[in-house]
Amino acid sequence: MRGNFILFIILIFTQIFVLNKMLFFDYILISPYLLALILYPYYKDSILNLFIGFILGILLDIFNDSLGLYALISIIIIYFKNSWVLKIIGNDKANEITLLSIFNLGKLNFFNYSFPVIILYYLLIIIFEFNVFFSFDNFLTLTFSSVSTYFVMVLLQYLFLKSDQKNEWR
Amino acid sequence: MSNLLRILGVYKYSITFWFLLFSSVLLLLNNNSFLKSYYFNSSNMIAGKALSSRNSIINYFNLKSKNHQLLEENRYLIEKYMNVDSMKFFEIDLLENRYKLISAVVINNSINKKENYITLNIGSILGIKEGMGVITRNGIVGKIKYVSGNFSTLISLLNTKYFVSTLIKKTNTLSSINWNGDNPDQTKLLYVPKHVKIEVGDSIITSSYNSIYPKGILIGTIKSINKNINSNFYDIDIKLFQNFYNLSTVYVVLDTQKNEKILLELKNTNAR
Repeated sequence: MRGNFILFIILIFTQIFVLNKMLFFDYILISPYLLALILYPYYKDSILNLFIGFILGILLDIFNDSLGLYALISIIIIYFKNSWVLKIIGNDKANEITLLSIFNLGKLNFFNYSFPVIILYYLLIIIFEFNVFFSFDNFLTLTFSSVSTYFVMVLLQYLFLKSDQKNEWR
Repeated sequence: MSNLLRILGVYKYSITFWFLLFSSVLLLLNNNSFLKSYYFNSSNMIAGKALSSRNSIINYFNLKSKNHQLLEENRYLIEKYMNVDSMKFFEIDLLENRYKLISAVVINNSINKKENYITLNIGSILGIKEGMGVITRNGIVGKIKYVSGNFSTLISLLNTKYFVSTLIKKTNTLSSINWNGDNPDQTKLLYVPKHVKIEVGDSIITSSYNSIYPKGILIGTIKSINKNINSNFYDIDIKLFQNFYNLSTVYVVLDTQKNEKILLELKNTNAR
C-alpha cells in the first residue's frame, strides 16, 4: 500500500514538474500520470472512479493552463478502461484484483490492457491539444510516445511495486 | 417518483460519466470562463507557490548562467547609455516616461503545445493587470491574461490564438504576427500586401496601436518570403529574436497613458 502511494505521488510530481515540459527527440511525450489511471482497480459502475479521474485531470489542467483538456481525457480514459479491462481479463478476475498492475495481470494481459488505453490517450492529446486530426508527424508522435510511455510504465512498476505485490498477491 | 429515482439509481454511472464529460467540454470550450480566469489557472495561489518553489530549486543550478546573462545585459545597457545621442532606450519612448517596466521572473513556461502560457512570480499586489505587455531585451514575450495577488499568467507569443500588431520597420507597413504552432524560433507575418517591397532580413517591430507594447520593440527579421501563393498577401516567415527556450527574467510594460487613450477613443466612438 505504501509503495502504491509513493508511486502515485512520484507519477503526479514528475508529470507536473518535469515531463510536462519535455518533448524528447521532437516526437516523444511521456505521460507517467496515465499509469495512475491504468493501475486504479476496477469497480463496477463506480462513480468515485470517474470523480478521481476528473479531479486528477483538473489538477493537471491547473498546472498546464488548459482547463478541461486533461479532465476530459481522464474521464474518457477511465470509462474506456473500465469496459476494456473486462474484455481482457473477464468480470471475475477484474473484481478480484486490487491493482491492475503487470504483476497481477501478467505481462501479455497487461500489454493487451494498457497499450490500447495509452494509444487512446495520445490520440485524444493530439486531437484536442494539437488541434490536428491526422498528419505524419502526429502519427510518429503517437507511435513513439505510446511505446515509450508503455516502457516507462513497466519500468516504474518493477521499481516501485515489485516487492509489495509479490507478498500480497502471489 | 420512486420509479424515476430507481432509474436514476440504475443509470447513475452513465449519468455521472455524461455529466463530467459535458462539464469538461464546457470548461474546455469556454475560454474566458469565470472559473478559468479566477481559480483554475497556474497563477492561482497553490499552483503558483508550487511552481515558484520548483523554480527556486532550478534557479539555484542556473546561477552561473544567470550571472553571465546579467553581465551581458549590464554591458548592453552601459553601451546604450554611452551612446545615448539618439535619446532612445531599447529604441522605445521610455524616456518620455509613458512606459514603465516592472521586472519579473518566469516560474513556468512551455513551448511544446499549440497554446503556450507562461507564469510570472508577480501579481496584482505589484500593480500587474490583465492586458499588459511583457518584453525582454530581445523582444516581446506575450500579454498578461490572468492575475492573482502574487502571480500572473501570460499568453505567450508562441500561442496560435495570439496576434500581435506589428510594423515592417523599413516600409512602415502595418501587419500582424501569429505563431503557426510549428517552430518555436519563428512565426508568420500576416497581411502584408504583395505590392509592398520587402526583403529577407528586414526588421519587424511592434506598432503600439493596441497600447500593449511600446512602438518600436524589435520582434525579429524576415527569414523567408513566399510570393507564389493564391492570395493578395505574402506568406512570410519571421525569425524571432526572443529565445523562448531559456526565458528567465522578463519586464512587464506599464503604459501610464493607456486609460487616457482608451477614454479618448471611447469618446470618439460615442460621438458617432
